[in-house]
Amino acid sequence: MTTGTAARPGADLRMAWLLTRGSDRREWWRIGLTAFGAALATGIGLAIAVLNSLDGYHSVSFGSGLLDSASDRRNVSLVMGLLLVPVLGFLGQCARVGAVHRDRRLAALRLAGAGPWQVRRIAALESGPACLAGSLTATALGVPLLLHLWARPTVLTWTGIALVAVAVPVLGAAVGALSLRRVVASPLGWVRRVRPVWGPGRTLRAVSGLLGVAGLLAGLSAFTGGPVRLTLGPPALFVVVLLVGFATVSLTGTAARRLGGALASRAQSPALLIAAERLRDDPWAAARTHAAVLLVTVVGAGFVGVRQVLLETLHTMRREGTLGTDMAYYTTGIDLTAAAILVALALTVTGLAVGTVESLATRRRGLAAQVAAGVPHRVLARALLLETALPLAPAVAVAGLGGTAIGFWYASLAAHGTGTGLPYAALLVPVAVYAACLLAAATSLPLLRRSVRPAELRHA
Amino acid sequence: MTIKGDPTVPLLEGLGLVKAYGPTKALRGASVRLDAGEILAVTGTSGSGKSTLLHCLAGIVAPDAGSVSYGGERLDHLSEKRLSELRRTEFGVVFQFGQLIPELTAIDNVALPLLLAGLPRTDAHARAGEWLERFGVRGQAGLRPGEMSGGQAQRTALARALVTGPRIVFADEPTGALDSLASEQVMTALVRTARESGTAVLLITHDAQVAAYADGEARMADGAVVPVGVTA
Amino acid sequence: MSIRHILLGLLAGGPSHGYDLKRRHDDRFPEARPLAYGQVYTTLQRLVRDGLAEVEGTDSDGGPERTRYRSTEAGTRELAEWAGQIAPPAPFVTNEIFAKVVVSILSGGDPDAYLRAQRAAHMTRMRELTAVKTAKGADLASVLSADYALNHLDADLRWMTTTAARLTTLTAEVDSA
Repeated sequence: MTTGTAARPGADLRMAWLLTRGSDRREWWRIGLTAFGAALATGIGLAIAVLNSLDGYHSVSFGSGLLDSASDRRNVSLVMGLLLVPVLGFLGQCARVGAVHRDRRLAALRLAGAGPWQVRRIAALESGPACLAGSLTATALGVPLLLHLWARPTVLTWTGIALVAVAVPVLGAAVGALSLRRVVASPLGWVRRVRPVWGPGRTLRAVSGLLGVAGLLAGLSAFTGGPVRLTLGPPALFVVVLLVGFATVSLTGTAARRLGGALASRAQSPALLIAAERLRDDPWAAARTHAAVLLVTVVGAGFVGVRQVLLETLHTMRREGTLGTDMAYYTTGIDLTAAAILVALALTVTGLAVGTVESLATRRRGLAAQVAAGVPHRVLARALLLETALPLAPAVAVAGLGGTAIGFWYASLAAHGTGTGLPYAALLVPVAVYAACLLAAATSLPLLRRSVRPAELRHA
Repeated sequence: MTIKGDPTVPLLEGLGLVKAYGPTKALRGASVRLDAGEILAVTGTSGSGKSTLLHCLAGIVAPDAGSVSYGGERLDHLSEKRLSELRRTEFGVVFQFGQLIPELTAIDNVALPLLLAGLPRTDAHARAGEWLERFGVRGQAGLRPGEMSGGQAQRTALARALVTGPRIVFADEPTGALDSLASEQVMTALVRTARESGTAVLLITHDAQVAAYADGEARMADGAVVPVGVTA
Repeated sequence: MSIRHILLGLLAGGPSHGYDLKRRHDDRFPEARPLAYGQVYTTLQRLVRDGLAEVEGTDSDGGPERTRYRSTEAGTRELAEWAGQIAPPAPFVTNEIFAKVVVSILSGGDPDAYLRAQRAAHMTRMRELTAVKTAKGADLASVLSADYALNHLDADLRWMTTTAARLTTLTAEVDSA
């Protein structure tokens, strides 16, 4: 069987197209959401590329002078780079839509005689075009905007734009191929039944090790001063945020399993019992989405605190006449950060909703059987909400407290001399985030009623 | 709703049932009657409308035309909430697979209908344990459906269907995914328990050996019940 | 079915007399046709004639005299040989149902009605056998022999179902021949 090994991208592309076209609506949801995520990633990437292609001092016509100096631009691009974290999380969530279905389809391709590389190519071709569409849309919208703001962009800028526009779909395709490695390995790949081998133990050790190294680097850069901090700082921060995210996944996963176990043995109500057992069975499903929620909570609560203190300090300084620059310079920066955090929250919550809907869609046949057996809708709906609400409550509370602590710490730094109060408003952030998450989970309830129809019971 | 054992009124009766799924007509005027304590096999080739008949009779789907009466009361006059309650208390269902919640252990799966009825967990577990014992799967009480053999999972499903003491058990190809020995164990357990407790069973199967466990047979072809033939 | 060999097999457990052999046969093979006494005695006499069994003595214990038989060495050898031989898998296809279907077509009868009635009769018999099987306290021998019959009846049924679905083609073929 050597005839098929020669690369025939045409045939593979056609196969990928046939498979996508023949698949159900969910596949189109995945493609749409993936394209949306890719467009966001491209937009952010473009902004960073453009900002970094500027050299030295420029008078930028907008942004209240925030984009004028090189170091400010670096900070702005850092914030935008951090926004990539929830975007990546969102893309990961989208990739899971219809995952079981797709895994089976590709496993069937393997059984039909497709080689591992051919399947990988087909998988990449399935996710690549969605990313390409997103990236092209973002580029098509971004370039005219750029030309409108900046008459003559440099060659460096164009190179950056081209690089980002190409890198996003390529990375998307690569991730798509990578995520299928287990299916590719086995033509009988019933991947979902296999428990993930990476438990909290190994990942936690690896992540805490990496965090230690990152902390060491951060400490070193503080001693070595300016240049190292500037070059290492932003990427290091990005890495630290990612690592904290991983650590949170591990911790929430473990916590969810413990909580599930503890509740399952005591639960008296059927809804609580079902939710708790589902948590114990697959705590990672919850953990993946919840990590992003927790990150947003920490950053959001911290930011609310810092913002309050900062604004009070700035106002005091302006009254005293010690403020060097225009007030708008600072407020624009603060508002920009706030917008970034809100975008991150929106993405995270959307990811959560997508995750809930997907988990529901995957289980709809089993749920239909429950309804047929007389389990009331409201019990299933309550179990669905509890599944999100239970593990999130303690985690969001802790994350909110952590974020608030950052605000308090910042307030204590700024407190000397000025009469700034403690930023208690930060405590509202976890409450708001929690409410948003419950709402997101609740968006799947209409689908529960609609998809849990007895027609699902019919044997295909 | 409680049904008195009135011998003149059939326990369950479907008359002239019609049901279409899009362009496919699954039922074209099927009629069937089930008496209290009767075990009736509904047989026929795949696509003859057996499962749809069961769904209509169990109040899981509403027929497009025709009527279903349980103890003389029309099911189409009941609200979805009442139907759901009826299915939970008076009916038991067993499918080929899927009726057990994969995340729950065997004992929790069996205890679930009792919990839904408001029984405390310890009491529900005690009763569920007895039923697992009756079906010979007590030793698997702590396992989840995915960790059991197909036969054990189906016997657990039977325990779940019977734990509330229903008047009718609806079984849709309960042995469809089992080998003949496991199938024999499941059917023997079902039939013995049903006869002991006077539970009626509507058994959907395409397998004559499974149908032979029943007292009578309703044979389906093209969405209707056809005459079985004169017994010599 | 060789009654000779079954009696030899029952004698392998120890000497026994005719009445006892019949009773043990009917216990061991619950769903088989019960043995007639006359058949047991003539078969035992033939076994003695062929040197496969011999008379051991007579008992009377109060009642009528009974002859006790035991297996000889030649009988044990013969039994071992027979038990090890495979049963010829369906050497001749003797299918009464098929014959009736064909005859029914030839004589202008209603083969479909015949098949339906035959199917109902088969189902009735299968229900009886299943009842034997599922009765409380049924021993394994009863279950296994009922299973044997059930599987054969099931095979007949499947054949009848496919035949009923192809009656039109069969009628055309039989009529044109």
